Amino acid sequence: MGVVIFVIAALYTRQAGTYAITFGDVLGPTVFPIIVGIPMMLLSASLVVFPTGQVDWPAPQRMWRQLAALAVLVGYTLTLEPLGFPLATFALIALIGIILGGAPWRAVLLGAIMAPALWALFDQLLGLPLDFLGELFVAD
Amino acid sequence: METLSLLGQGFVIALSPLNIGLLLMGCFVGTLLGALPGLGPVNGVAVLIPLTFAFGFDPTSSMILLCAVYFGCMYGGRISSILLNIPGDEPAIMTTLDGYPMAVQGQAANALAISGVASFIGATIAVIGLSLFAPILARAAIHFGPADYFALYILAFATIGGIAGVDPRKTLLSAMIGLVLATVGLDPISGVPRYTFDSFHLYDGVEPIVALVGLFAISEILMLLEKTLKDRPKAIPVGSWLPQWGAIWRTRWAMLRGSGVGFVAGVLPGAGASLGSFMAYVAEKQTSNKKGTFGKGDPRGVAAPEAGNNAASGGALIPMLSLGVPGSGTTAVLLAMLVSLNVQPGPLLFERQPDLVWGLVASLYMANITLLILNLPMIGIFTRLMMTPTWALMPIVAAVTFVGVYSISNSVFDLEMMVFFGVLGYLLRKLDVSLVPLVLGLLLGGDMERNLRRAMSISDGDWSILIASPISIGLYILTAGFLALSVWLAVRDHRQSQADRLTEG
Amino acid sequence: MIFRMMTTAKIGAAMATAMTLTALPASATECIAPSNPGGGWDFTCRTIGRILTELDLVDGNVQVTNMPGGVGAVTFAMVASERPDDAELIVATSTVGITQIAQGRYPAPLDSMRYLAMLGADVGVIAVDDDSPIQSLEELNAAMLEDASAIVTAGSSGAGGWDHIRLLMVADAAGVDDLGAIRWVQFDGGTDAVTQMMGGQIDVVSTDLGEIAGFVESGDIRVLAALSDDPIPAFPDIPTAISQGIDVTGYNWRGLYTGGDVTDAEYAAWVEKLETLYNSEAWQTAATQSGLVPIWRGGEAFEAFVREQADVMEEISRDIGVIE
Repeated sequence: MGVVIFVIAALYTRQAGTYAITFGDVLGPTVFPIIVGIPMMLLSASLVVFPTGQVDWPAPQRMWRQLAALAVLVGYTLTLEPLGFPLATFALIALIGIILGGAPWRAVLLGAIMAPALWALFDQLLGLPLDFLGELFVAD
Repeated sequence: METLSLLGQGFVIALSPLNIGLLLMGCFVGTLLGALPGLGPVNGVAVLIPLTFAFGFDPTSSMILLCAVYFGCMYGGRISSILLNIPGDEPAIMTTLDGYPMAVQGQAANALAISGVASFIGATIAVIGLSLFAPILARAAIHFGPADYFALYILAFATIGGIAGVDPRKTLLSAMIGLVLATVGLDPISGVPRYTFDSFHLYDGVEPIVALVGLFAISEILMLLEKTLKDRPKAIPVGSWLPQWGAIWRTRWAMLRGSGVGFVAGVLPGAGASLGSFMAYVAEKQTSNKKGTFGKGDPRGVAAPEAGNNAASGGALIPMLSLGVPGSGTTAVLLAMLVSLNVQPGPLLFERQPDLVWGLVASLYMANITLLILNLPMIGIFTRLMMTPTWALMPIVAAVTFVGVYSISNSVFDLEMMVFFGVLGYLLRKLDVSLVPLVLGLLLGGDMERNLRRAMSISDGDWSILIASPISIGLYILTAGFLALSVWLAVRDHRQSQADRLTEG
Repeated sequence: MIFRMMTTAKIGAAMATAMTLTALPASATECIAPSNPGGGWDFTCRTIGRILTELDLVDGNVQVTNMPGGVGAVTFAMVASERPDDAELIVATSTVGITQIAQGRYPAPLDSMRYLAMLGADVGVIAVDDDSPIQSLEELNAAMLEDASAIVTAGSSGAGGWDHIRLLMVADAAGVDDLGAIRWVQFDGGTDAVTQMMGGQIDVVSTDLGEIAGFVESGDIRVLAALSDDPIPAFPDIPTAISQGIDVTGYNWRGLYTGGDVTDAEYAAWVEKLETLYNSEAWQTAATQSGLVPIWRGGEAFEAFVREQADVMEEISRDIGVIE
């Protein structure tokens, strides 16, 4: 990880140098990123040379479940606007519930209760508008 | 004496049936909004502003409602910090450090009670400070120049190494990642877009609440998934549903110290509640962490930051009312509302609108008591929440955070950022890197940079301005003292553990 | 125990429903303030939104959205790309926004929007602390002529923004050559700059009068000059720059734009509504109380004015050296 952060810090510092100082701005937009970037490079380099701690990465089958969960989360961001809030949220709660090891019928039930409940809480009670039906269902 | 009679008049105003009703509603809604991860006091207050217009409340009643929401959020933010390890809003991040470990050890009820009482003490001390010294404090705060703010942030970041984690280098690195993220977006001084990769979504920078819930909530789900079903506890055992009063009493000094530190941070415009709770935690850890229990569920590690953040949010009302300078995001919203109701905050507000000021102060006293009464009985209910099985709890938490963020910004991009931060948070946690410094870096980085650049603009490029004022010199001495103390303690602990090993062997 | 949780939630829900049911239905009209809450654009949206509702010019409440970023650039880009034909949407703008466009800092050109109207203007002022040795604009100019780098000036805009340019226009008119040598410090708002001046960090503030009027009334600061044609009604004692021989005015007008693809009929309807609002007692009071001078320019005339101002601003920025 030290290596990754070192590379990012180096790129960050390099990029900082490209921001031009504009009229009437003494320090300009470049100095602060450099002040942060250089010690960051030093620190990450020291972690590469003198590492501490050991990481047990999860076994491959666990990793699959994590990837599945991420896929559901990303899927939610993609389906929220087309499907509308309650449907997408129902899928999110049910699927994450199943991935976390809940019995499928219970997870589905939970999603079926909580998705409309959350919609009601935010849209109706707190007055934060959320589309009930997504773009797919609403004809222009 | 004059203050007392003015305050008396304030209570007369605050005790009207309408104002009491608004107060109760504000406290309840505020606690709810604060407890939901993804919704903080800024959103909470902003959401209710149209309501005050719709009913045509006068400025005093509107302020009573909104300040009750504000204080309620500050009380509520701690609940999910303690129970779920997910801060409900930005200032509540420090509470995760000791609050969640306490909950895991079956002390959830105590942690909630201590934080509730600490919130009450912190906020009450701040309101007393507000009613007695507001104009004087505001006059003192203006002598804090850009170079002094920069010194204050240096102090904050120098002490960050001590807050958590095994390796101080990793903690510092985490803070630096936060600072890096804080520079993303359009630079307000020069107008240059930085690290935006030509995406307009990044022009406004990284929204702290998005990073916060992503780092904590999403990464928590990923952490849970890597455990096998067997070794994951179904639910955390609850030691007791009722808090022990003795445990609360033992943290009294931590609460008072935290309140003092937080209040000072709040009075300084721009520092705000997050800095208040952070400084309160670090100060408390430095004074009383004799046995190395901080970060492992020390009740004082819950009491100090909670007292600190509530004292800071009360203190932030001082520069807002008497100078018209918002000390935090929430006070900026309150200020906007006052201005649109034709009330001009500033040096003449206390003379011209005594009804508003003292009615508000009186209702803040009442809001504190209400919140304490409201929160203590709810402890039993909230601790039972801990017994909800993970498969049911976490999907709901994920859904609430997504909705909370989306309902405010209406931006799918923000949700994608949340997932990104979830993965980042997961990787960093696996690598033993504490996430708290990252969030602090993100929250404070922008102001730190701007104040450095302002100082340099004032001096026309002469770096010596950074150590030119007595305030900044004092802060640097404090920083040096803090670092020296940490090094000394570390060396002593090292020797101690070596000696232990020798005797054992 | 989940059920018990839900019971408590229900009690809360009932309480909250009681309050929401009585609230007005949210209308589709939205006003975007392209800044954080608290600034001038935010005031424009919140005040105009409130009065539009009070006068029944729109159904229900006007939803005010804060969309900060890039001194309005983020909102501008969003409207240009996503909502160019949304006639329910109005966006607050001002001289500050037009300055940004003139300096090429917005992602889309000026004519990608339709400019509805200006409803009032804030007057720029040059102020010093009440303890400052500088008593008049003449003394300030003399000090700058002697050593331009000796004075630390500040305001709420970044370097090259409208607050900065107004100050440089004054210095330019006084004959200061080395405009780049005058130190400029950006603060997040006019009040921030004024309190820092009271704390002795900076010498001179150039910003709008409205936000800092309280400090003028309390006597904490001394206004050397108002950058207006005539003395400001609320503060008749403040001398104008013109009366002191410096021929500079620096208004910051407040107005609104809507998307570039809004139809002519919808555009005309908005201009008419805003004119009704402008002539109302409520707007005149709200504007004067917050230090604005009510000024009306609407429709075609306003669009022409905006174009002209953008040209002028580009020229000034180039002359002073803010842009190449």
